[in-house]
Amino acid sequence: MSDILKLDKKRLDKFVAALLSEYRLFGPVEANGLTRFAEVESADALKLDSNTDESAKGIFFPQVETILTYENGKTETPSGPDKPIAVLGIRPCDARSLLMLDKVFGTGKYNDSCWTRRYENALIISVGCNTPRAGCFCNWLDLGPFSKQGSDIALTDIGDALLVESCSEKGRGFLESSDEIPFRKPTDDDLSKAAGVREHAESSMEDKVDISSIKAVLDKSWDSSLWDELAGKCLSCAVCAYLCPTCHCFDIQDEKMPGTSRGRRIRIWDTCMAPQFTKEASGHNPRPTGKKRIRQRVMHKFNYFVDVFGEIACVGCGRCVRSCPVNLDIRYVIKRFMDAG
Amino acid sequence: MIEAKVENTIGRHKDWQPKILAFLCNWCSYAGADLAGVSRIQYPPNIRVVRIPCSGRVNPIFILKCLQNGFDGVLVSGCHPGDCHYISGNYVARRKFAVLKTLLEFMGLEPGRVQFSWVSAGEGEKFAQVVTKVTEDVKKLGPARKLVRNLEPTETKY
Amino acid sequence: MADVEQVLRETVRKLLQEQKVCRVIGYARGSSALRSTPVFIEDEKDADSLVFDITCGNNLTQYLKKCGKAGDGRVGIVAKGCDGRAVVQYIAEGQVKREGILIIGIPCEGVLDHRKACDKTQGREVSEYRIEGEKVVLKGKDFEVSLDKFDVLSDSCRRCRYPSPPVHDVFITEPKEAASQEPECKEFDEFEKLDASERWAFFENEFSKCIRCYACRNACPMCYCEECFVDQSNPQWFGKSTDLSDTMIFHIVRVLHTAGRCVDCGACERACPLGINLGLLNKKVEKEIQERFGYTSGLDPDETPAMAAFDEEDKQEFIL
Repeated sequence: MSDILKLDKKRLDKFVAALLSEYRLFGPVEANGLTRFAEVESADALKLDSNTDESAKGIFFPQVETILTYENGKTETPSGPDKPIAVLGIRPCDARSLLMLDKVFGTGKYNDSCWTRRYENALIISVGCNTPRAGCFCNWLDLGPFSKQGSDIALTDIGDALLVESCSEKGRGFLESSDEIPFRKPTDDDLSKAAGVREHAESSMEDKVDISSIKAVLDKSWDSSLWDELAGKCLSCAVCAYLCPTCHCFDIQDEKMPGTSRGRRIRIWDTCMAPQFTKEASGHNPRPTGKKRIRQRVMHKFNYFVDVFGEIACVGCGRCVRSCPVNLDIRYVIKRFMDAG
Repeated sequence: MIEAKVENTIGRHKDWQPKILAFLCNWCSYAGADLAGVSRIQYPPNIRVVRIPCSGRVNPIFILKCLQNGFDGVLVSGCHPGDCHYISGNYVARRKFAVLKTLLEFMGLEPGRVQFSWVSAGEGEKFAQVVTKVTEDVKKLGPARKLVRNLEPTETKY
Repeated sequence: MADVEQVLRETVRKLLQEQKVCRVIGYARGSSALRSTPVFIEDEKDADSLVFDITCGNNLTQYLKKCGKAGDGRVGIVAKGCDGRAVVQYIAEGQVKREGILIIGIPCEGVLDHRKACDKTQGREVSEYRIEGEKVVLKGKDFEVSLDKFDVLSDSCRRCRYPSPPVHDVFITEPKEAASQEPECKEFDEFEKLDASERWAFFENEFSKCIRCYACRNACPMCYCEECFVDQSNPQWFGKSTDLSDTMIFHIVRVLHTAGRCVDCGACERACPLGINLGLLNKKVEKEIQERFGYTSGLDPDETPAMAAFDEEDKQEFIL
C-alpha cells in the first residue's frame, strides 16, 4: 500500500501545475448546463464530482477533425500535439474505453496516425466514481466504479483529499518526478475512508448480471424476431452511438471554401444507426431497414468485437441508457437475448 | 495568411463593397432588371443575379446557403400579387418569406440582410430603387458575420 | 392516475377483443420509474402492460406510418393532447387515413422532462415516484425529494393549451377543456425582449452544443420526410460536421419545415441528449402563423395547413 499517496484537494492546483508543465491537460468542465471534456488551464475549471454528459473519446477521436488541408493542389497534414495529452478526472469506464479504441486504431495491423499521435504518450488520470448514476452498469462488464484498467494514475475522492495511486510505469514515473506536488502519506483512517467510499459506491449499483455468454447467444440470434421488436421503437438517431465511449465509426468529407481553391478533408463521427451509413454510390443500401441497423450495432458491440478483439465493446457507462429518447435500454436488450437463449 | 484570405474572400477590407445575391423571377423582376438596363438607369453594381422561374421556386435553403457562403445580403424579387405567371407561386412564396424573415429576425439576424420585393417587367425604375435601397441597407450593416461558414479547423489543434 | 390506467387497459383489451383495432400504440413502463417506452400491443393479454402517467413523453404519432400496414385493420393510438394534434395534422397532410386510425384520447397533466428530474436527484436512480397535488415526490435507495411539479415539467407542457386531443374515437375518462387562450409563457416573453445580439448569442450558445445526432428530428412526428435535406448527398446542401453555421442552419431549416405543422409537443427537446432549447424557435413560428394566417396546427383535419395555402389578402408589410 506504500504506493498510495494523499493530496489535499486545496493543493490540487499544484498537481495541475505539474501536469501543465509537461502536458496539454483535458478534464471535465461544466458549461452551458453540461459537463464535457475540454482543455483546461487551471484546477478551478475542473469538475470532478460527476461523470461527463459526453464520453472522453472526443479528446483522442474528436467528432470533427481535419486530416488534411489543400490549396492549389498542394496538401498539408496537421502536425501532432506540441505536448502530450493528459486527461484528469476521467471515469474508470471511459478510461477503459480508450484501451478498446486503441485496439481498433492504435495497435495491430492498421495504425491510425490521428489517434496514435494523441493517445500514445497520453497520461490518463482517472477518478473513482463515488456515486454511480442511474443507468450505470459497469459491474456487468467486469469493471467497477473504481476499476483501474486504462488508467495511469487513479484518484479516490475521500472528501477533502484525494488518494493518488499509480497504476502504470508512466503514472509512477510522473508521480516520482513531480516532487513539487505536496503529497502526504495517507493515514489508516484515510485508507479506511477510501474503502468505505468504494464499498458504498459498489453497493449502490444494481446487481450484476452475468453476460459472459452473450457472444454465444448472439451467434444464434441472427434471425431472432426480437430484432423486429426493437427496431419497432428505435428512432434510428445517433444518441447512443455519439454518446458511446466505444463507438468509433466515422465518415470522411471534403469541404471546399467557396470561391477559393482551398479546402479541407475532415473525419467526422458517423453512426451505423443512420440509413446513409451504408448507402453506396449506386444508391444500393445493404442495410436499408431499422432492424438491420440495430442488429448491426448490438452485434458489433457484443459479438463481432468479441470475435476480433476478445472483449465486449461496452463499458457500462450508461449514457445510452440515460439518453435514449425511447428508453431502448441496452441492458434490457441484452437481458432479453440472454433470456431467449 | 489564411486569416487574410478569409478576410478577403468575404470582403472585410477597407474598400469593402457588399456582395448581394438577387434571385429574380424570370417573368417579372428579371425583365424589370433588363428594362432598367436598356433604359440606362443607374444602380449599384453589388448584386449578382440568379434567374429563377418564379419567386415560389426560392427555397429558404437557397437564402441560408448564400449567407453561409459569404454573401452579405440576399434579395428575392418576384411578380406583384395577381401577376404570377404560375397564378399563385408568389402568394405561396409570400407566406414562406414571412415566416423565414420572422424567424431569422427573432434569432437576431439583422433585418436588412434578407429582403423581398415585387418588381414587374415594366418597373425598371423601381428595380433600380430596390437594388439601391438593399445595397444601402447592407452597407450600413457591414460585412455579414452571422451564419458565415468558416472553414478553418474549429476543433482544438492538437 | 391508477384509475386512468385501469380504464385504458380495459378499453384497449375490449378494442382488441372486438377486433376494432389490429394493434394499439401506447406506453409501457420503461427501465426506471421515471421512464416509459413505446409499446405496440396486438394481443389483448398484453393490454395490462400499458401505463399512462407523467413519464409518457414520447409523441407516438410518428409510429403510425410504420405501424399501419395495408389491409391490416385500424391502428389504435393512445393520444395525449399533442399526440392527438399530431394525428390530426397527419390526416390533414394526407399521411394517414382517418378511418385507418382509432384515437384513444387520454387526459394529460403534462409530462416530465427527464433531464430536469435527473438534475434534482443528482443523477441517482429513482425507484418510485408519486404525485401529491402540485408536488412530485421522487424516491430512491437512500433519498426522497419533493419537487414542484412545474419545475420538472417539460417546457412545452408548461405552455400547453390543448391537454386533450381535439379529435378522438374513444376517451379514457373525461376530456379536459382546451384553455380559452394561450397560457402565458414568461420564458418566451422575456426572451423576446432581449436585443438582437443577445438573442443571437443565446442561439449560438445553444446550437454549439449540438452533436448532430438528429434525435430531435427523429423523435419529431412532423419530420417524416423519406430523406432529410441534411442527409441528401447529391447535391449535399450543407456540411455534416459540427461547424456552427451548419448546425444552426440545420435547426433553422428544420423549424421552417415544420412551420405551421409543429404541435409544440416538445418531443424534440426531450429527445435532445444535451438539453438544447429547441422549443423557443418552434413557439415563435407557431405564434407568427397564428397571428399572420390565423392558423393553428393539429386542430382540424379538414383544414389546409397554413404553409400549403395562401390568401390574396395576406399581409405583406415586409415586401419592398
